[in-house]
Amino acid sequence: MSDDHHVLPKDTLFKVFGGLIVLTALTVAVAYVPLGPLGVPVAIAIAASKATLVVLFFMALKYDNPVNALTFTIGIIMVVVFITFTMFDTAFRGDLGNVTPQTVQEIEREQEAAQQEMDQINPEDLRVAPADYPDQQGAGGSSAEGGGDESQ
Amino acid sequence: MRAGPPVDSREPYLLMATETETAPAPATTDVDHDHDHPDHLEHHFVSSEQQFDSAKLGMWLFLITEVLLFSGMFVAYAVYRQWHPEAFVEASSTLNVTLGTINTVVLLTSSLTVALSIHYIQLDKVKKSIYSLVTTIGLAGGFMVIKYFEYMSKFEHGAFPGGFFDPHGGHYEHLAQVPYAPQFFSIYFVMTGIHGLHVVIGMAVIGWVAFRAWRGAFSSEYYTPIELTGLYWHLVDIVWIFLFPLLYLI
Repeated sequence: MSDDHHVLPKDTLFKVFGGLIVLTALTVAVAYVPLGPLGVPVAIAIAASKATLVVLFFMALKYDNPVNALTFTIGIIMVVVFITFTMFDTAFRGDLGNVTPQTVQEIEREQEAAQQEMDQINPEDLRVAPADYPDQQGAGGSSAEGGGDESQ
Repeated sequence: MRAGPPVDSREPYLLMATETETAPAPATTDVDHDHDHPDHLEHHFVSSEQQFDSAKLGMWLFLITEVLLFSGMFVAYAVYRQWHPEAFVEASSTLNVTLGTINTVVLLTSSLTVALSIHYIQLDKVKKSIYSLVTTIGLAGGFMVIKYFEYMSKFEHGAFPGGFFDPHGGHYEHLAQVPYAPQFFSIYFVMTGIHGLHVVIGMAVIGWVAFRAWRGAFSSEYYTPIELTGLYWHLVDIVWIFLFPLLYLI
């Protein structure tokens, strides 16, 4: 009955090992390539392929009773669900260190109202200094401006 | 299925397959029945094949619980890293990539040797199987030694986990100004610590199995403990395969 147990040839084991070493080298090499946001997915993809090699061949899951593969696959699916749904929550919580008692809508409404007020102001009503009247001849007299202030 | 009380009050799987002496008298007055099946076959199994298969399924179920144990920590890592990515990048740069890579290769090799030990025992090459198991333990020990040096380097520079974080000296100095840097080290120490604990437990179990193999307990007919130990060890390796890029190669 031990004949039913699939004996993996040494050759296969060493080849899988070689593949794993190559992938390890790739992992380290890729780490020094600036990939931006792709960095983490690529690293995980390479790690996942290494893990797949170990699981399929070193653990002989490829040649085993399919129930074991089913068990393992369902477990991995559960892990993916775990991390995905947790990240759905934690990644989109916003900055709790920066809260105001007003809601976002209230803040937006206030900003809009302030903007409208600004738009309604006539720039001519804001004139204060003689420099605000560029068309009038304000030359001579109290030109206390130091230096060449001609940038008007 | 054989009805009736078991022959031996000890657990049958501890019986050596190649015992030359008869089993000691049972503690209870059990009837000795004909043993027309191998010693290792327990009475609630129809065949050795079924026993081996069910042992394997049980082991895979346990491995899934181990995967979920580590995935809890990986989720913590993911959440903290997503919240404070710059702190993680800064803190991760203090980790020694060379040592991490060496450790990865060491563990991959140990996976190879444990797979080889199963290969050998399947072909009744008991001695080679034992040598492979011992090599696995040696490689695992090497992994722990390198981990020891990594930890010492961190502790010397005050990079303790959690509230004791007080980095000084060397290239750890700038971490004092990085907010949330201690979070990375908490994750680092907990994950590599629990992984290291699994490595040590694996070393003990492999040692025990190697000892039993040396005493002649296993053959191509019955090598289930070696098989299950191998599965456990491969899982330890897989966890490190994921730990290495996520901790060292950010």
